[in-house]
Amino acid sequence: MYYKLPKIDYYRPKTLDEAIRLLREIDNSRVIAGGTDLLVDMKTSRVRVRALVDISSIPDLRGIEDLGRTIRIGAATRLQELIESNVVSQNLPLLKAAVESMGSWQIRNMATIGGNLCNASPAADTAPPLLAYDAEFVVIGSEGLRVIPSTKFFVGYRKTALNPCEILKEILVKKSEWSGWSYVKLGRRGGFTLSVVAVAVLAKVIDGVVYDVRIALNSVAPVPIRAYKAEEVVRGKRVSWSLIEEAANTVAGEVTPIDDVRSTSWYRREMSYQLAKDALAKALGVA
Amino acid sequence: MIVVEDPRTLIRRWLSAESCIVVGKSIERSDSLEKALGRARFVEDYLEEGYLFARLALAKAPHARIKKIDYSKALEDPKVLRVFTYRDIPGENQVGYAVPDQPLLAEGKVRYYGEAVAVVVGKDPDSVNSAVENVFLEIEPLPALFDPLEAMERGDILIHESLGSNIAFRTKVRKGDVEEGFSKADVVVENTYRTHHQEHVYLEPEAALAIPDLENRMTVIATIQYPHLGQKIVSKVLGLPSSYIKIIAPYIGGGFGGKDDEGPLVAARAALAAYHLRRPVLLYYTREDSIQTHPKREATVIKYKSGASKDGKLTAIEVTIIHDSGAYANRGPFILWRATMHASGPYYVPNAKVDGYCVYTNKVPQGSFRGFGNPSVQFAAESQMDQLAEKLGLDPVEFRLNNMLRVGSDTITGQVLTSSVGIHEALKKLSAVSNWRVKRLEYSERRTGRTRRGIGVAVAWHGNSTSRAVPDWSNSYIHISRDGSVNVYTGIVEMGQGSPSSSHRQLVSEILGCPIDKVKVVFGTTDAPDTGATHASRGTSVGAIGIVVAAGRIRSRLESFLSEYYNVQREEIKISDGVVIVGNKIKMSWEELVALAYSKGVDLSATGYFFLPKGTFDDDAGRGFAYPAFSFIAIIVEVEVDIYTGRVKVLEVHPALAIGRVINPDAVKTQVEGAIIQGIGYTLMEKLVFADDGRIVNDNLTDYVIPTSHETPVIRNAIFVEDVWDYGPFGAKGVGEMAFIPMPAAIANAVSHALGVRITELPLTPEKVYSITKQLVG
Repeated sequence: MYYKLPKIDYYRPKTLDEAIRLLREIDNSRVIAGGTDLLVDMKTSRVRVRALVDISSIPDLRGIEDLGRTIRIGAATRLQELIESNVVSQNLPLLKAAVESMGSWQIRNMATIGGNLCNASPAADTAPPLLAYDAEFVVIGSEGLRVIPSTKFFVGYRKTALNPCEILKEILVKKSEWSGWSYVKLGRRGGFTLSVVAVAVLAKVIDGVVYDVRIALNSVAPVPIRAYKAEEVVRGKRVSWSLIEEAANTVAGEVTPIDDVRSTSWYRREMSYQLAKDALAKALGVA
Repeated sequence: MIVVEDPRTLIRRWLSAESCIVVGKSIERSDSLEKALGRARFVEDYLEEGYLFARLALAKAPHARIKKIDYSKALEDPKVLRVFTYRDIPGENQVGYAVPDQPLLAEGKVRYYGEAVAVVVGKDPDSVNSAVENVFLEIEPLPALFDPLEAMERGDILIHESLGSNIAFRTKVRKGDVEEGFSKADVVVENTYRTHHQEHVYLEPEAALAIPDLENRMTVIATIQYPHLGQKIVSKVLGLPSSYIKIIAPYIGGGFGGKDDEGPLVAARAALAAYHLRRPVLLYYTREDSIQTHPKREATVIKYKSGASKDGKLTAIEVTIIHDSGAYANRGPFILWRATMHASGPYYVPNAKVDGYCVYTNKVPQGSFRGFGNPSVQFAAESQMDQLAEKLGLDPVEFRLNNMLRVGSDTITGQVLTSSVGIHEALKKLSAVSNWRVKRLEYSERRTGRTRRGIGVAVAWHGNSTSRAVPDWSNSYIHISRDGSVNVYTGIVEMGQGSPSSSHRQLVSEILGCPIDKVKVVFGTTDAPDTGATHASRGTSVGAIGIVVAAGRIRSRLESFLSEYYNVQREEIKISDGVVIVGNKIKMSWEELVALAYSKGVDLSATGYFFLPKGTFDDDAGRGFAYPAFSFIAIIVEVEVDIYTGRVKVLEVHPALAIGRVINPDAVKTQVEGAIIQGIGYTLMEKLVFADDGRIVNDNLTDYVIPTSHETPVIRNAIFVEDVWDYGPFGAKGVGEMAFIPMPAAIANAVSHALGVRITELPLTPEKVYSITKQLVG
């Protein structure tokens, strides 16, 4: 009843150029894709805007493609499409695992990967895998295209590196051979919930030696983060329990969690350690 | 043949019915299809073009004197028609259920963050939404109290000044001599338990649509569990006779007790606006408004000491129960009574001393919620039972069976139970079916590794009807039309539990002998006789006694008529499933019987008033009659605990119930399953978070987390012990609340078993459990 959307102007451009023009010309306008975060915020007046520019039917923003060396994911791709995509399950299993932990089937059929990233919640579940994959975010504005590395995209609590009239166009992930991966999420219930802590790990282990490793977390800092120091601890070393232990301890030292309605700083730090350990063990193949 | 009109005779006749056509069967609910198709109408669905919209303006301070309510800015919008405050109430503003401490709209003071201050009415939701933010309270802040233990001690800060204390209400039970009892004890266990609030999260928030001048009355369609109580409150607030107020509870999207408290208030607030504006007004709570303002399950501190002798018998209990009542008593005194009376659990205890305190704080009030004060005290009592058993070296089930109430036992209030006590048999069967002994031993011996398994048991009892001698009754009105179709009028509502759409139809069909599809129940209306509330697990038990009596009267009239008309004995008359057989020659259909009866002047309308016989309770002595009957339940729960994260997973739940006759097994099953899942949510994850100013921080479903199918364990088919109750419809007792009550205790006992560490505080969030398991891991 009282969750009716306030009166707003609604635009559904067919092209990116038109979308950018609308964003530039209309004061207090905002991009909408799936709307699963934004519409709730608008209905409860947490967000007030005058106009919405719906980018979900712009063909350039849709689709998942294998470009040979790179995977391209359009920003307005629905989460459920990621789960059902063979390209994703074959090349980006870590992303698939993270998306499977998100929302309900109904929500995943509306929500988009770009929406999850641009909403820039510290708890965004698509962020840790993309940080781990070192994905690149292609954004477009009136000045044209530019590429922002995923690790530079989140600049502060709910803030991204996007300029006011820019739109996230697509996500590019270079293909790489990873021997192991793991997404471990702890929420307040078994599913359909935001994370208290989640850890994503990618690992390349050859003959028991870690050639490369990526560790990323959400909900433990103002933005989703990479645990670079912990990665350094592991990289180039021989896989062992004590190595995992040391890396997990380093992760716990890298995070800067807070107390909030979902959990406490203390528990999040403890779980950063534990979940990092679980995720590393699995990704490094010792679980 | 004489017509039987006497309620007791009629109740007894059907109590002993053996071969039933529809009673005891899983008959399909009459509302299942329309609900599945989305055609069932809830309050908001009755909205029509041109109706006005209303929302509450809520207080934004926990404790303050009101200097002025300034809504001039709200009225600047021409679409906002009026803002109503306590000044606009033509009748009384005082609406406290148990004690006169609660205003319908804040007057003089605000006592909690979220208290209703004003009703804002406008032509569209957008205007009303903005206007609500433009209602300002000029206040003089007062120091606020949030901790009940502190509030009890403080005399300098008073939430209700006229009372001279922050203790709203006290209760007590006394039996024997506890000092002597403890002196005979070989083992004594003493602990302080803490339980927390719970939000109802009914899918449909509170709403009321008040329509003036419909049938020349104020008609209010509301989310309400007791239409006649709504009628009384609306009548009081508007200063109109009850006969000018009509309340309708359409389909309700969940209640769980919350709409028993808030229902009459939402109805009165909507009616107030419609009364002044002389136009239909829909008052609707947003989810946030609902969570901020409506009463919650009580938070408690329970100090519990109990002793037992070497031969495994309880010797004494001494219990202090403190309920955080929040800003108003609401139904707190009744909730506290129930907790006090049930403090022992369903055991024979020779010596008992129980004291209860209902304490004001500047928080959202406590209120009715499935179990009504009982889950928290059973959590304490059943945790004690496990620890006593452990100290005595006894199996927890054996120890419980040793002390279990039986027919002839007297309870802690000194009430002798004369019949309907099937819990001993229920627990015994449950223990066997669940493989309790083997698993208990196996898990005890395997307390190593990351995931630990535990199995726990808890037993609970729940008095049917209101506590002590508080009057309780049942009623209904049944009318058979000339075509043989039957209307049943009841005040019982349909809020998901299904009594009007299943068991009531079964009872009428069985008793009249008519086909079940002839029976149409008109429910949730003040046009039915006052049936009492749909709470306290009474919809199909106490609430349906009136249906048995009314239907029984008509049946008796039909039999008497046939007996005289055909000159046969009653034994020669069979009316069953729409077929009427008289003697060995005459056979007719139900419709033919009704037509014949009409033509010969048989009265086919009847009411079925029944006043429940009760004893007396001496409040000063703390002794006497508590309840006309008790429902019982035993639950065995298996859990798995990840000691590295503190996550608890409930794997399997085995229930056994002693609830008298089961009228509809499927309906009971759904109540049991729903209560178990709700109990898992309460015990493991649900938790209100309060800010420093008493505001509920997680007033939405993103951050107030309830269980989903992910948390739903394997729930085994319930074992039923049909310990019929003399006054119940066909012997039925209440079931709606039952499975919730032992869940906190059963889960806590299972987790304690898994870890070898006693749990005394809820909820068992991963964080709380981890703070325990971290010590185990080191």
